[in-house]
Amino acid sequence: MTANPSIQDTSSRRTASLGKGMAVRRGLLAWALIIPITLVHLVVVVGPGISGLYYALTDWSGIGKAEFIGLGNFVELFTEDLNFRAAFRHNLFWMAFFLTVPMIMALSAASLLAQIRRGAMLIRSMFYLPYVLPSIVSAFTWSMLLNPSLGIGAALDKIGIKGLDHPWLGDFRTALAAIAFADNWHWWGFLSILFLTAMQAIPVDLYDAAKIDGANRWQQFRNVTLPGIRPTILFMLLMTAIWSFLSFDYVWILTQGGPSGASELVSSHLYKQAFLRFEAGYAAAIGLTVSLMAGCIVGGFTILRRRGWEI
Amino acid sequence: MRHWLTRTRFCGVLLCLLALVLAGCAPVPATQGESGEAAMEPVEITVWLSQTAQSDCIVAESVDTFNAKQDEVVVNVERKATTDSLRPALAAGSGPDVVQLGGPVFAAELALAGQLLPMDAYADEFGWSELFHDWAFNVGVVEGELFSLPQELETLVLFYNKTVFEEKGWQPPSNLEEMISLAEVIQKDGLIPFAGQSSQCNVCNEWYVGEFMNQVAGPELVYQALIGEVPFDHPDFVRAIEIHNDMMQKGYYMGSLERFQAANFEEFTTAFATGEAVMNMEGTWFYGREADYFGEGTTHGNDWDWVPNPSVDGTPIFSIGLGGTQSINKSSAHPREAAMYLSHYFSPEVQGRLVSVCNRGTAPVRGVDEFMEGVDPRMQAIFAAMNDAFEAGVYGYTLWTFFPPKTDLYLYEELEKVWSGQMTAQEYLTRANEIFQEELAAGEVPPTPSR
Repeated sequence: MTANPSIQDTSSRRTASLGKGMAVRRGLLAWALIIPITLVHLVVVVGPGISGLYYALTDWSGIGKAEFIGLGNFVELFTEDLNFRAAFRHNLFWMAFFLTVPMIMALSAASLLAQIRRGAMLIRSMFYLPYVLPSIVSAFTWSMLLNPSLGIGAALDKIGIKGLDHPWLGDFRTALAAIAFADNWHWWGFLSILFLTAMQAIPVDLYDAAKIDGANRWQQFRNVTLPGIRPTILFMLLMTAIWSFLSFDYVWILTQGGPSGASELVSSHLYKQAFLRFEAGYAAAIGLTVSLMAGCIVGGFTILRRRGWEI
Repeated sequence: MRHWLTRTRFCGVLLCLLALVLAGCAPVPATQGESGEAAMEPVEITVWLSQTAQSDCIVAESVDTFNAKQDEVVVNVERKATTDSLRPALAAGSGPDVVQLGGPVFAAELALAGQLLPMDAYADEFGWSELFHDWAFNVGVVEGELFSLPQELETLVLFYNKTVFEEKGWQPPSNLEEMISLAEVIQKDGLIPFAGQSSQCNVCNEWYVGEFMNQVAGPELVYQALIGEVPFDHPDFVRAIEIHNDMMQKGYYMGSLERFQAANFEEFTTAFATGEAVMNMEGTWFYGREADYFGEGTTHGNDWDWVPNPSVDGTPIFSIGLGGTQSINKSSAHPREAAMYLSHYFSPEVQGRLVSVCNRGTAPVRGVDEFMEGVDPRMQAIFAAMNDAFEAGVYGYTLWTFFPPKTDLYLYEELEKVWSGQMTAQEYLTRANEIFQEELAAGEVPPTPSR
């Protein structure tokens, strides 16, 4: 049966007209729903962000009137503030640590977890659990575990294993690494679950093909698993690099940047400037500098993506 | 098929959103206080209080007793993390009527920013200048006007484990030389001379900076430095820091520098109470927690006692410290009622009960001695000796009360670099002096009681 062309034409026009109207209504509804949250975002993010740009150029205590001083804060930051330089160096260590140690641990654990069937959910939950604990709980737990009189080292010493009852958090040579160790404890499990999820999306056929080609476990991991989860790895590398500049809680709870500034990060330095020295303008300059650093990292990844990297 | 999103429903959604926005903008209904019935209802004022082990007791003894004794004003307590919440609240023109701050330095900063109310009229009306000791009253004066009242009087003394001292036949030191000699003896005996920590509270490093400056260089020199007549890198100050650093390097504090820097309050107080460490340079706030660690209720049953921190020549010097201040919010709608509450709070009777019932330090007000019944006699002795010293002008200056914020932060943070050998005592104090001179020139140094 052939439909009347005139009826068909009218029907398609009506359908097109209906579709257009529906699209407009959907668009309006989307706007109506997005506007309130956009307004909130403007007030709590964009507004303070712009004011932060201004305050970075002022001498301001955080209350009262701000005095415009141009680039004075940045001059002081880059030419005089030795503690900022030290904190920045510590942040580079922090970033290098978190871009490597938890990544390697998580990849190893995820590839092993992928092969476990019985009890897999229990082990995954155990790995993930530290991530959902409040940092105050984790940090206090670790402050006790690392305590030379009450912690793991003291317990091992009692059974004859010597040398680990060291005040790791009190020694300026080991404090930063000890905090990174404690922070990593809550982080790598989360990463491993993320990688495991990505690994489970890799088609089994690829592994079968690799086996037929005679690939061993390591070759399967290197040539199938890693390329298969590369976007996830690269995304997490990007986020870890950015987040490493924002790390604050574990350092603050465990050492407050001490001893003798050995575990000071840029974020804890910023906090002290704003809330202990009452130099909010200077703190804004530090915050802006950190944002620019994060921007550089994102820019670097964007360039890599344009060059064909799958990020 | 008719689409679920009809024009009617779409308009309905928009109207609902509009109604929500308008509801948010609607004026708050007039309270009874603004209506004709206002005169009949008590005025409500607010106080913000951080939750601490003592805060319930403080509310019961100060706020509840005030609310019970009159019906003109009702004080409402809101539990807030005051340090973090106050600054933005005051800057926004809101916040509590009664403003509790960390000390006169913080109060001066907010006063200069126009966020606190000058209280001189209320001081005259309620007789605060007669109530407070002169030096304490003047600490709250900024540019000629009164902006804060000191909340808690503190000083630092040398607590010692009396039981261990008696067992070993040691006498508590009466001067600096004796203290250092005794520390050597104690260490040779296998015990730790001093308990302490900087992990949980590196701000507490300021106890040592202040005490060694006052006890070694002398409070007169500290006073001259605070008013800008001598620099903070004066040789006597350098010597004070070097003596303390030498004690730290010898492991007199917690057995080693590293352990001192890794320890927390729980660990060092336990070490002190059990006799692992036998002396403790700490403030009068120790009274709030000593009962948990010492005495009959513990497994060891050890007891404590105190002596003034030993000075070079043995003269007892008590450093003045003020743990917090109270002010009135410039935006308060009921400043007089807030002043009424402050008058009640700082009355000798309430202050006496805060000490005897809540184990908290008293404000520097006259007449508290009469209300000290039930207070541990050792603490009564500290308060009495401290007040005598203050009245006689033999007092030192704590960092958190009399030093401007940048200098204070620098002194307690960078002291650890002297301990770790990253800078010398001379370099440390030279930089401290530079920071102090900048703050002095900017008028940011709190009022210093004259000698």
